[in-house]
Amino acid sequence: MKFRPYALLAEVTYRCPLRCPYCSNPTRYPIGTELSTAEWRRVIEEAASLGVLQIGFSGGEPLLRRDLADLIAHARQVGLYSNLITSGIGLDKTRALELKDAGLDSIQISFQSDRPELADLIAGAKAHKRKIEAAQIANNLGFALSANVVLHRQNIERLREIVVFVESLGATRLELANAQYYGWGFVNRENLLPTREQVNRARDAVNHERERLRGNMEIFYVLPDYFEGRPKPCMNGWGQQYITVNAVGDALPCPTASSIPSLRFDSVRNHSIGWIWNESESFRKYRGEEWMREPCRTCPERERDFGGCRCQAALLTGEASNTDPICYLSPHRNIIDGIIDREGRHSVETPYTYRANPKVDLISPAAPTTL
Amino acid sequence: MRVELRPSLASHVRLQIDPVTSEPVLLSPENILTLNETSHDILTRCDGSKSVQSIIEELASEYDTTAPSLSVDVIQFLGELQQEKLIILLP
Repeated sequence: MKFRPYALLAEVTYRCPLRCPYCSNPTRYPIGTELSTAEWRRVIEEAASLGVLQIGFSGGEPLLRRDLADLIAHARQVGLYSNLITSGIGLDKTRALELKDAGLDSIQISFQSDRPELADLIAGAKAHKRKIEAAQIANNLGFALSANVVLHRQNIERLREIVVFVESLGATRLELANAQYYGWGFVNRENLLPTREQVNRARDAVNHERERLRGNMEIFYVLPDYFEGRPKPCMNGWGQQYITVNAVGDALPCPTASSIPSLRFDSVRNHSIGWIWNESESFRKYRGEEWMREPCRTCPERERDFGGCRCQAALLTGEASNTDPICYLSPHRNIIDGIIDREGRHSVETPYTYRANPKVDLISPAAPTTL
Repeated sequence: MRVELRPSLASHVRLQIDPVTSEPVLLSPENILTLNETSHDILTRCDGSKSVQSIIEELASEYDTTAPSLSVDVIQFLGELQQEKLIILLP
C-alpha cells in the first residue's frame, strides 16, 4: 500500500456553544444521528490498525459528548496519541481530570482575541473569560497547553498583543491561523478578509515574535493563502496522510471536502475505514497525480504542493480538478486578486453571519447537553 | 547546554514504536518525528533522572567509543528538541 493515514480527525459532534463566523464546519449539516460510543470505538480501532498514530477530537465542541473520556481511553488503549481541539467551554476541573485519567496527551484551546469584548463579539458568545479559566485548569493539571487563534480583519492588527496574551496563559505552542475561506468562513469572507497591508504587517510581527520567544513558545503560522503566490500543500495530498470522520459518520479526505458538490462520501456505518481509505471513490479521486490538469500536470512543484486545495478550486473555479486558483500559474488567479481588491478592508461594515448549530432533534442520539 | 542538567520528555510528548514500520517515533501535537536508532537510544534515557553527561557516557560505553566523540551530536540533538519544547531540562 502506497499511502497510509497518519492522523484521524474525529469531529465527534457539530454542536457548539460558540458561533464563530469562520467555522470550517459545513453550512448545511449532513442529516443523520451522531455516531454512538460503540461506533466511534470501532472507528478508532480500525484507524489504528490502518496505521494511524494520532487522533484529534474536534467538532463542533467535543466536550459536549459525555463519552469523550471513554473515546480517549480507547484511543490510548490502541496506541494513538490524542489531542483535544476545544473552545474550552465545559472544561472544568472535574472534566479535565477525567480526560487526563483517560490518557489525553494534549489540549488545544481556541481564543478569538486578547480583548474580552472583541473575543466575545467574534465568538458570538460570552466565552473569553471561561476560556481563560479552562486554560488555567489545563495548565494546573500539567497539560502542555496549545492555543489556536484564527486571524482575520478584526484581530490581525492585534497579533503582537495576542501573542503576549497567549504567553501569559503559559501556553507552549501557539497556532496563528489565518482564516481559511471554506464553510462559514466562505460565507463571511467579505467581513473577514484583511488588506494586503494588514497581511504584510502581520508577517513582520510573526517573525519578530518568533525570534523573541525562541525556545519558550513555538509559533506555528498558517499562511493567508489568498495572499500567497503558491498554493498550500493541502492535507499533504488528498487521501495521502489524513482522514476525517464527521459527526454523522461520513469519512472525508479533508474536513471541508463536503464543499465539493460532485463528491459523495462513504459512511463508517456501511464500510470499514480500511475499505474507505483504499477503495472508496472519494479518497481515490484526487490522490496522486492522475487527475491533474495543466498547469499542474507537468509542473515540477506538483510533488510539493499536490496542486493545492481541491475545495478551493471547486469553490472558486467551479471544478475541483483545476489548479488551486491561489497559484500564480493558475489561469484563475485573477479571481483571487479580484476578491482581495474588492473585499479586503480594514473595518467591518456589515454584521457576521454567525455559525448556526445543527437542529439537535435531527442530529443528536441523546438529549442535548446544556453547558 | 549545561551537561549536568537532566533531560526529560515534555508532558505532551510520547515516545513509541510505529507498529507499521517498527521504527521509533516521537509524537507531539500534529507532529510525528521518525527517529533513527541513536536518537531513540538518547531519548529512552531522557527520563528526568540522568544528566546529559551521564547519557553521553552511557552511550559511549554502549557504542564502544569515547564520550567526547559523541557529545557534540548528542548536545545538538537535545538542543533542537529543547527549542521545539519536546524535552525539558531539569536542574
